[in-house]
Amino acid sequence: MTATQVHETISEETVREISDELGEPDWLLETRLDALAALEELEMPDVIRTPGRDWTNLDALDYESFVDPLNAAEEKDQVGPEDAEVLPLSEAVSEREDLLKEHFGSVIDPEENYLTALSTALFSTGTLVYVPKNVDAEDVTIRTTQHSQSLFNYTLVVTEQSSSVTILERQDTGEDVDGDRYYSGIVEVAAGENSHVQYGSLQDLDEETYNYTLKRGEADDYATVNWVEGNIGSRLTKSSVETNLDGEGSETKTVGAFFGHDDQHFDIAARVWHNTAHTTADLVTRGVLDDDARSVYEGVQDVGRDAWDTNSYQRENTLMLSDESEADASPKLIINNHDTEASHSATVGQIDEEDMFYMTSRGLDDESARNMLVEGFFVPVLEEVEVEELRGDLETRVRERLHE
Amino acid sequence: MSSEQDQLKETNTEERFAFKKEESAAVRSDKGLTEEVVRLISEDKDEPEWMLDRRLRALEHWQNMPMPTDWPGQPDLTELDVEEIVPYIRPDVDKREGADSWDDLPEDIQDTFEKLGIPEAERKALSGVGAQYESEVVYQNMQEQWEEKGVVFCNMDEAVREHEDLVKEHFMTSCVPPSDNKFAALHGAVWSGGSFVYVPEDVTVEMPVQAYFRMNSEGMGQFEHTLIIAEKGSEVHYIEGCSAPKYGSHNLHSGGVEVFVGEDAHVQYSTVQNWSKNTFNLNTKRAIVEKGGRMEWVSGSMGSKATMLYPCTILKGRGASANNITIAFAGEGQNIDTGAKVYHNAPHTKSTIESKSISKDGGRTNYRGLVHISEGAEHSSTSVECDALMFDNESTSDTMPYMEIDESKVDVAHEATVGKIGDEDVFYLQSRGLDDDDAKQMIVSGFIEPITEELPIEYAVELNRLIELEMEGSLG
Repeated sequence: MTATQVHETISEETVREISDELGEPDWLLETRLDALAALEELEMPDVIRTPGRDWTNLDALDYESFVDPLNAAEEKDQVGPEDAEVLPLSEAVSEREDLLKEHFGSVIDPEENYLTALSTALFSTGTLVYVPKNVDAEDVTIRTTQHSQSLFNYTLVVTEQSSSVTILERQDTGEDVDGDRYYSGIVEVAAGENSHVQYGSLQDLDEETYNYTLKRGEADDYATVNWVEGNIGSRLTKSSVETNLDGEGSETKTVGAFFGHDDQHFDIAARVWHNTAHTTADLVTRGVLDDDARSVYEGVQDVGRDAWDTNSYQRENTLMLSDESEADASPKLIINNHDTEASHSATVGQIDEEDMFYMTSRGLDDESARNMLVEGFFVPVLEEVEVEELRGDLETRVRERLHE
Repeated sequence: MSSEQDQLKETNTEERFAFKKEESAAVRSDKGLTEEVVRLISEDKDEPEWMLDRRLRALEHWQNMPMPTDWPGQPDLTELDVEEIVPYIRPDVDKREGADSWDDLPEDIQDTFEKLGIPEAERKALSGVGAQYESEVVYQNMQEQWEEKGVVFCNMDEAVREHEDLVKEHFMTSCVPPSDNKFAALHGAVWSGGSFVYVPEDVTVEMPVQAYFRMNSEGMGQFEHTLIIAEKGSEVHYIEGCSAPKYGSHNLHSGGVEVFVGEDAHVQYSTVQNWSKNTFNLNTKRAIVEKGGRMEWVSGSMGSKATMLYPCTILKGRGASANNITIAFAGEGQNIDTGAKVYHNAPHTKSTIESKSISKDGGRTNYRGLVHISEGAEHSSTSVECDALMFDNESTSDTMPYMEIDESKVDVAHEATVGKIGDEDVFYLQSRGLDDDDAKQMIVSGFIEPITEELPIEYAVELNRLIELEMEGSLG
């Protein structure tokens, strides 16, 4: 795959201007400039390929038309409880430079692929969430409304020993712009020993928006990193939620839900690496597709040679409401240690005819019956969402979509 | 090849396999793959012009296609040097008997057959006679009663001469074109021998049709082609067994199998593969199934250094179905990459895939599968089940399924589990008086039972015994 030609306004001057605006230290500017220089060499993120076919065509994205880094505009709501620090990046660079320096780019290599490098070079907004030792921080909220053509958002979460945090992130789009939009989000989570992170996202961008999101956590001994990944909006989303279980006894749970209609395309991955002993993972995803929508799901459970006594489970279910939709799935198990209990399952199907018959025989019309069954389909994943507000938001968006 | 391997080869040749000096090839091609070699093969077989043309076109594809290298977790093919492989050896059939006596066989092969408990007459058959020997099928047995009903079972070279129209129509045209993949192209250029099976309309062949392939020369490639045509309403079960003794350098087996399952016909294709552990086993097997037809693939993969094999079924007609049962056993230094592909291209089609794998002593097993349901293939269903059993921490087991679903009125289910051999199960059996090894053996036998159930008894016994021998570490 060849990298897309770099836009002429994505230049060293642009990067310096963005960095200057945020008042960044030199090392961060250097990281950006390195990422910019690497663009020429880097390739698009991996997509699943089967003979004769790439499941998501990222090369078709026309960066010329929608990357406009100097005119980024957004509305941001960054709040958290008093004993945790929730800082906009412009403040974090001066107040918490030590944390940034230690963790920025340590979980996700800025030069991992073309799109991570583009994000690193051009991000203009972001959040640092820092939770000190033994602090329980609930209700950290990061809401981002994109008002411009493109927006590059960066989030770093650091939790100290035995702390916990619940973060609710939401992205949507505000003012109309001409043409397509691009939203890019990089999220790094460094979960300290015995800490507990719950990171929930609801992506509700408008359907002219192309979206690349990469979220990755690193869990220390006995730490837990849980993800909730809700995808409703965007024209095309390429999203991956990943956890490195690096610490003994660490755990992760990923709960995913998506609902595609019209000609939306969701390329969603859930990945976990079991790198040490006594780790546990549970990946659960449910999605619904209507009209011409398409989903691509990749689930990876990678059990390393040193990962003794591993438990790893994965389930993915897709419900198709239309013959024009397409659901592709590849749940992968990679097992290098036999002391493992691992399983995965995936299903694709339509609404059960008997269920429909039962509902309609109770006096419901077809549409109401169908809507109730779709809402019911999401219940097992929604039940897993610990944050009440996020669960409520997701339920509301599912219901709204059904009645659109 | 490294000098170390060269040395190994010398030692082996001298000390263990001296019998090979008596290899009595009537025709032996040069190493490597050139137009000259391809022409030599065609000429030696006295083939019609069109077959030579097909070979040359396939050669072009081979030359233009890249090696498969970028599949996640695929076997390493860097040690495979096709330029070092001799693609064609025609044994001198008249002299064969003398050169191929039981005593001349390598000791480990003798041991294997003895331990399998196979009677001497059959041992001889299985070790080369009554089988494809090198590049030629030298003997095949077909009962007269089937011939009377119009059933044809002959070697592929003969089929080119005797059944030219059928072969011309079906040979690497619609089912496995040489452009399909790098090794299908290779196969198309240098194929030799194999079986041709033709079953006329409404004929049921009640006995399994069998062929046994064996590679006996060092550093050779074997490229047998199997073409099965089952006409409307017919039924046949084809069984192949494969083996090769151990050599220092690498052998290549790249077979091609094409199966045409007519309307309401039923074909079962069973393989028990036990190539020696220096063999690269890279096959293309495919079936096209018409309306109401049924294709069953049963595969046991024991041997080889690396296997890449994903029998493919194209469900072309309404109500067609496919069942796949595969079992893979990978021991030290082995990488068995196998699975199944099914294309649902018509309504009411059905497929099942059941895959079992066992890995031990650093062996590597992969399940790699593709299920594709095309738009319009409504009311189709597929179910995939993979179970992997791992003996130790040096072994690896991967499951890589791909599901492309283009139609909503379908029922698609995939399930996979991986686990170690259950301590509790072993304990239970030990408490009933079995020793550790016997207990594990019994658990493995139970684990693979769904496969052995599908095979005729003698193959089931062979598979079980082979696994037993693998587990004792006495093969290889």
